[in-house]
Amino acid sequence: MKLIRVTYTKWYNILKDGLSKENPIAIAVLGICSALAVSNRVENALAMGLGVTFVIIASSLTVSMIRNFIPSRVRMITYMVIISTFVILVQQFLQAYFPSIAAALGAYVGLIITNCIVMGRSEAYASKNPVRYSILDGLANGLGYTYVLVVVAVIRELLAFGTILNVQVLPDTFERWVSMAMAPGGFFVLGILIWIIRELTHNYEVQES
Amino acid sequence: MNRYLKMIVFVSILGLFTSALLLGMNQLTNARIAANEEAKLKSMVLDGFDIPYTDTTINQVFDDTVTVEVIDGYTYYIDDATNALTFRFEGGGVWGPIIGLLTLDSDLETIVYITILEQEETPGLGGVVAERPYLSTFEGKLMTIDIKKEALDTSDSEVDAITGATRTSDAFETILNSTYETVIPIWENNQE
Repeated sequence: MKLIRVTYTKWYNILKDGLSKENPIAIAVLGICSALAVSNRVENALAMGLGVTFVIIASSLTVSMIRNFIPSRVRMITYMVIISTFVILVQQFLQAYFPSIAAALGAYVGLIITNCIVMGRSEAYASKNPVRYSILDGLANGLGYTYVLVVVAVIRELLAFGTILNVQVLPDTFERWVSMAMAPGGFFVLGILIWIIRELTHNYEVQES
Repeated sequence: MNRYLKMIVFVSILGLFTSALLLGMNQLTNARIAANEEAKLKSMVLDGFDIPYTDTTINQVFDDTVTVEVIDGYTYYIDDATNALTFRFEGGGVWGPIIGLLTLDSDLETIVYITILEQEETPGLGGVVAERPYLSTFEGKLMTIDIKKEALDTSDSEVDAITGATRTSDAFETILNSTYETVIPIWENNQE
């Protein structure tokens, strides 16, 4: 009985929206640029996913807290400043205390600033909703982004390098698909994945007459 | 008018607040970041000379075993025990600079070790240039380097190119050779 009631709570629905019904990559098609760039290795995808998740949560929290004070004309700039500040804080923290992780992520941390999902959630959700739901919405969207990225990365890394998380999976005789390591491979895999997800969730774009 | 005033006040407060946050974080982490970078450079120099160290002893080991000399703006690291020489190379790759350290044997011709400090090549393709398995194919080769695209029994000065990264391979060859040609004469002139 309890389980059925869970599906009617707001918490559950926010999580479901972020992960599947309104998945930022598959349904809203946001954040595609970074998804294509870092999905050729699983470790990059994981690190980028976690970084983005943290920044979405932190910026949604801040935007939601000050949502009643932000003048509507400068709201975009406000989001941008808040997001950039968090990204730089994360970057400096990693460089100072976890230099090996910072080195592995390289330029990707800075790329979080340009991720449209972060801005999208600030504008679409955090600026209109209370803090606790905004945090959950950020988490849901961050995880929704991460899992699509990891799925794409598993496929690409397997075909391009024969490895997963740098562990050899396919035999050496396997002919590596070099194109999978490059942007075109990302487009193919992501395109097919979005197609499958939309078929499964019956999400079709309706032509307006 | 009131609306604009409110906007300006808001943006100013936001700017002040975020700047303060960033300045504070910078103050907190600046020294650590600089120390990390120095330790990283030292660890790479020591790796090149194959000198063992741990994270806690690195500064001590470096001071005891390595001499640093700066001549004409070029920095040279000398292994006191073997006289091997390490210097920095730098040049343009496909997307950004490729910077690294090249360690030569005391004959100033045989490559002992190559490390990449910084590169922005295509991940998975040109990015291979920074990976140990590829860099180790240079070890024991003689300068100047010739990076070959066709399959061959690589000998003497010849190294295989990176598959699918012709321009990175070309750039890397140019960077290594041109740095070698400028840095070594300066070093040799100074020794006499």
